[in-house]
Amino acid sequence: MPQAPVSDSIIEFIKVTKIYSPDVVALNDISFNIRQGEMVFLTGMSGAGKTTLLKLICSLERPSKGLIEIMGEDINKMKSRDLQKLRQQTGVAYQDFKLLPKHTVYQNIAMPMEVTYMQPKQIKERIAFLLEAMDLTRKKEIQTDRLSRGEQQRVAIARAAANAPPLLLADEPTGNLDPTNTELVVNLFTALNQAGTTMIIATHDRSIYKETDHKIIDIDQGEITIHNNQAS
Amino acid sequence: MTPRYILIQTGRNLKQTWGTQIMTLITVSLSVFMFSFFFLVYTNMLNTGERLGDHIRLIVYMENEVPPEMEEQLATKIRQFSAVEKIVFKSRQDAFSDLSEQLNDDRDVLFDLGSDFLPPSIEVYPKRDLKSLTHIKLFSDFLANLPGAVKVQYGRDWIERFGSFTQLIQLIVLCSGILLILTATFMVASTIRLTVVSRQNELEILRLLGATKAYFQTPLILEGVIQGITGSIIGLTCLFSLYAWIKIKFAGPSFLEIFTLTFLPGSVTFSILFVSVSLCTLGSYISIRKFLKI
Repeated sequence: MPQAPVSDSIIEFIKVTKIYSPDVVALNDISFNIRQGEMVFLTGMSGAGKTTLLKLICSLERPSKGLIEIMGEDINKMKSRDLQKLRQQTGVAYQDFKLLPKHTVYQNIAMPMEVTYMQPKQIKERIAFLLEAMDLTRKKEIQTDRLSRGEQQRVAIARAAANAPPLLLADEPTGNLDPTNTELVVNLFTALNQAGTTMIIATHDRSIYKETDHKIIDIDQGEITIHNNQAS
Repeated sequence: MTPRYILIQTGRNLKQTWGTQIMTLITVSLSVFMFSFFFLVYTNMLNTGERLGDHIRLIVYMENEVPPEMEEQLATKIRQFSAVEKIVFKSRQDAFSDLSEQLNDDRDVLFDLGSDFLPPSIEVYPKRDLKSLTHIKLFSDFLANLPGAVKVQYGRDWIERFGSFTQLIQLIVLCSGILLILTATFMVASTIRLTVVSRQNELEILRLLGATKAYFQTPLILEGVIQGITGSIIGLTCLFSLYAWIKIKFAGPSFLEIFTLTFLPGSVTFSILFVSVSLCTLGSYISIRKFLKI
């Protein structure tokens, strides 16, 4: 994947520790920053702390210690209104998808745009584009509980990308996909990143980053090592 | 927030909990109907009371004629006790003249009796309002104790029953009003709670997507408003239909000749509608505050 131009820091972790009760250390005193427009891969074994790190970024979890700044704001000091705004600007593709099972594919993808009161015409156009990109056009009126895991995953990714957010987090976005659909997802991520979206992708799947020279944050037992991938 | 979104979301909410919504609607309609029905009866009783007041007077028969210098003093005393329309002092001669006039062509029968056989009296015309009517017994007791008073006469039984009945209706209006407050507020609150609970999963996801407070709350508030408007329109329409039916059914020489039945004035109808909508909205708001955690 070609790398997009990068500029100011959008995410800053300073000596962050996350301990789950009673004494499970998920992240231990980690510091890093991610600049605007970067595409970063979080790698590591299952249970290494990748999902915890993503949850801290989108404020689903609070750090036990340390400082997290998102778009220049201390996440711990954010007021409810600012947090809502941050969430509107952050697309998240959850590992468990978090789709509404009795709603259609169309309705699920429309949700983040409705939340930001986007015009119906724009919503329609954007959904048409995303359905096409995820090869889901034929499924748009189907309830998501009737889709396969792979299709549900693509709906979750389309929903995360719906608002063309400045920041997109994806947790194992290709975990249920075959190589063809993985390529669709990678293409969408690349397009978004080239348009300026900062991407953080937690993955086991080496195939989606092995051809790139993006930053990789490797997590192992709560500790991180950062390096730039050497494209092969 | 766009009106389109609010309407769509409100429609979704109503659809998701339609069974409860219908039950709530029936309860709100019934409460509005009951309250406005008793209120209608009450206002008609008031009107009837006012009309009856035209014909009501208390006649205080005196032992002796009241001297002109005492009239003002007695009138002041009476007025201090209760509001009255007018007080007329009648001498024996006045009473005789009135009776002669009433007998018209048969006045001859009075010739042998002399013009002073009738007792002097004071005619007291109470104010034409319900309060005066319902307290008429007390007033009559007061008049009976005036110096020189022998007897007080008025349509006692009928007025007392009317007064008691009106007080009973007043109590029923009060109770049905409380019922309306309770049902409208609590039924709507519990319906909204059900909506919130049934959409918990969706609300949680919307929260993660950055939905604002207004985004969550407005459709739920609108749901309460719709319940209030629909419920009170149905209740008031039922009442009007009943009123129209009674008017047709009992038209002619029946009790409606005595009691002219009138529907609630526009301002009262609008007030009932407004209060019902406000109560339902309040119920909705209470539920949102209590159960919607954003």
